[in-house]
Amino acid sequence: MSEVVVTAGDSPIREVNIEIRARLAEGNSVVVRDTRSRHNLGVGLPAGAKVRFEGSVGYYCGGLNDGAFIEVERNAGWSTGEAMATGEIIVNGYAGMSTGASMRGGLIHVKGDAGPRCGVAMKGGDIIVEGKIGYMSGFMAHAGRIIALSGADEACADSLWGGEVWVAGPVESLGVDSKIIEPEPEEVASVEELLAGRGLGDNSREWQKIVSAQKLWHFESRDASAWLMI
Amino acid sequence: MADDMKEKYEYPFEMPTEDMVAMKDGGVDDRPAGVPSSYARGESVSWTPESISEIHALSRLGRYQIRGFNSFNHNLPTFDDLTFVPATMTRLPLEGYREKCDTKTILGGGSGLVENPLELDIPIYIASMSFGALSANAKAALGYGASKVGTLTCTGEGGMLEDERRASKTLVYQMTPSRYMLDLSHLRMADAIELVVGQGAKPGTGGLLLGMKVSERVAGMRSLPMGVDQRSTVRHPDFLGADDMQVKIEELREATEYKVPIFLKMGATRPRYDVAVAAKAGVDVIVVDGAEGGTGASPEFLLNHTGIPTMTAIRAAREALDDCGMSGKVSLVAAGGIRTGTDAAKCLALGADAVMVGTGSLIAMGCNSPRYFESYEALGTEPGKCHHCHTGLCPVGITTQEPELEERIDVPAAAERVARYLTAMTMEMTLLAKACGKSSVHNLEIEDLRALSMEASAFTGVKMAGIDRAFTW
Repeated sequence: MSEVVVTAGDSPIREVNIEIRARLAEGNSVVVRDTRSRHNLGVGLPAGAKVRFEGSVGYYCGGLNDGAFIEVERNAGWSTGEAMATGEIIVNGYAGMSTGASMRGGLIHVKGDAGPRCGVAMKGGDIIVEGKIGYMSGFMAHAGRIIALSGADEACADSLWGGEVWVAGPVESLGVDSKIIEPEPEEVASVEELLAGRGLGDNSREWQKIVSAQKLWHFESRDASAWLMI
Repeated sequence: MADDMKEKYEYPFEMPTEDMVAMKDGGVDDRPAGVPSSYARGESVSWTPESISEIHALSRLGRYQIRGFNSFNHNLPTFDDLTFVPATMTRLPLEGYREKCDTKTILGGGSGLVENPLELDIPIYIASMSFGALSANAKAALGYGASKVGTLTCTGEGGMLEDERRASKTLVYQMTPSRYMLDLSHLRMADAIELVVGQGAKPGTGGLLLGMKVSERVAGMRSLPMGVDQRSTVRHPDFLGADDMQVKIEELREATEYKVPIFLKMGATRPRYDVAVAAKAGVDVIVVDGAEGGTGASPEFLLNHTGIPTMTAIRAAREALDDCGMSGKVSLVAAGGIRTGTDAAKCLALGADAVMVGTGSLIAMGCNSPRYFESYEALGTEPGKCHHCHTGLCPVGITTQEPELEERIDVPAAAERVARYLTAMTMEMTLLAKACGKSSVHNLEIEDLRALSMEASAFTGVKMAGIDRAFTW
């Protein structure tokens, strides 16, 4: 696989993405230069694609990713890897709001901090944040794991349906209907194994595993007859 | 005081007896004069039997009531407050039973950005209703019925159901804030994408699907635990305001390579401003869903007391598009309480490019039909009055996930009824259009209407019947 360069600059984003897709289709890996924090770079890329963005990117980088490997050299804006089905996205700097929003699978690895609502509405996959995750991270997530290595801001794991938020470091406050539980040793081993595979192995971490308290799963009754009074 | 007066004045005759003061002369004992009939009727302006029973229910439940169907607020104006004024001397009618009247409807072609705008044979399509709210059989029947008459259906928020994709020639994929089972391949299999920022039944509030309907299949599609009372978000997870949405729209266009139109569905609240902002954000089609819009489940007070009526929203939306120079570039779809082709024709005359019917299409399939009486009875209701979509115990199998109830839908028969309903609606529209001298339903205009009430005229700017002037403030 040879590496080819695509320059974003101030070209229309549609043309930039067409060129990225064309170079990938020819069997190349792609380096995108002069990214200028442009929005919607590398949206909906297919399995097997490999793209590296030199610089920072704007919103929705790697959005709807369908299996591509994407690396961002510096920072990423909102909603990186939004609705990703599978694949891998690495952000070497910071990531903005809603990282991994509604993603269903794959992995997002943020080396700095992630903004608010990281993993919001997430349906699967893993998000690793080496820094801190912002407020309301995991809001209304259904499934998947958010793993934060340097703490979590307020209202962590607010209104979880399901899924897990793992935090090493301080959690400023828990969100609505979430609770900290003692993880099983094999669960810790699974998280540590994932981290070790990325050069982040450290067995001394004290994990807080946060899950849904399930009090918002139902109104006061599951019984259909309770809803027939009108 | 009365005693003081008595001291100062004395009648020049004897005080009458109390019986005479009470008009008992010639009266009957059990019907005394002077007791207001309202004593018997109990007509408090605030504390009607309905409001009393509502408080009893709230005080027992400790939460709001939930139900399906649509608004029970009888103060809403209806399409019946408008009438058509067909061609007579100043205009020439077309031969209603013979001449052609075009119904072709293009959605999403105005911007020139979209490779494949939607081309529908009729200006009516099936509203977005989710698999979950509706059974899979109901979704499939709607798809086949709509396909037969050359129009589209919409997935609703539950993800793309394979039965529906198979059945629907043209299918809009709805992207709600919950993003259930959002999948790139589904986006690319869709003929259009609809971003939802609200719905007419409960604008400003997310969807609601009670646990009885969160079956294994529904839960699987939504990545939810089975049986939870699913209350969806109303804010999108990945953008906040209109400026961000503009970026989101570009993302969707990139993901689908500019092939399909982007719709935006909103509940009707401030359409004059909301529609202008949506048009600026770059959508191709705006769906304005009025307060009469139906739903599978909603807090009841939101159904009755939020949003503005469909007919009022259409005028405001059209004027907003005109003011921004976006008419012709952005298509406008009206929805909410549209029952017949007559209602639909009024929507087009008011300024809509197309209409969406939800509850009407369910009724066509058999909702509230007089069958399976014992199932209605079990819900404490009867055919014609049922609004128990929220329970998942739909007597005719439409709004349920119970297999034995769902089997009550015969998909081919239900599909054919939907097709005939849409055909009949279209015939009503074309007959009205031809009577008004129009060779296309899209040429219907506000001048073809007159208002039968001051409210309707004031709400819409339609001229009052007879006097031929719009009510002005």
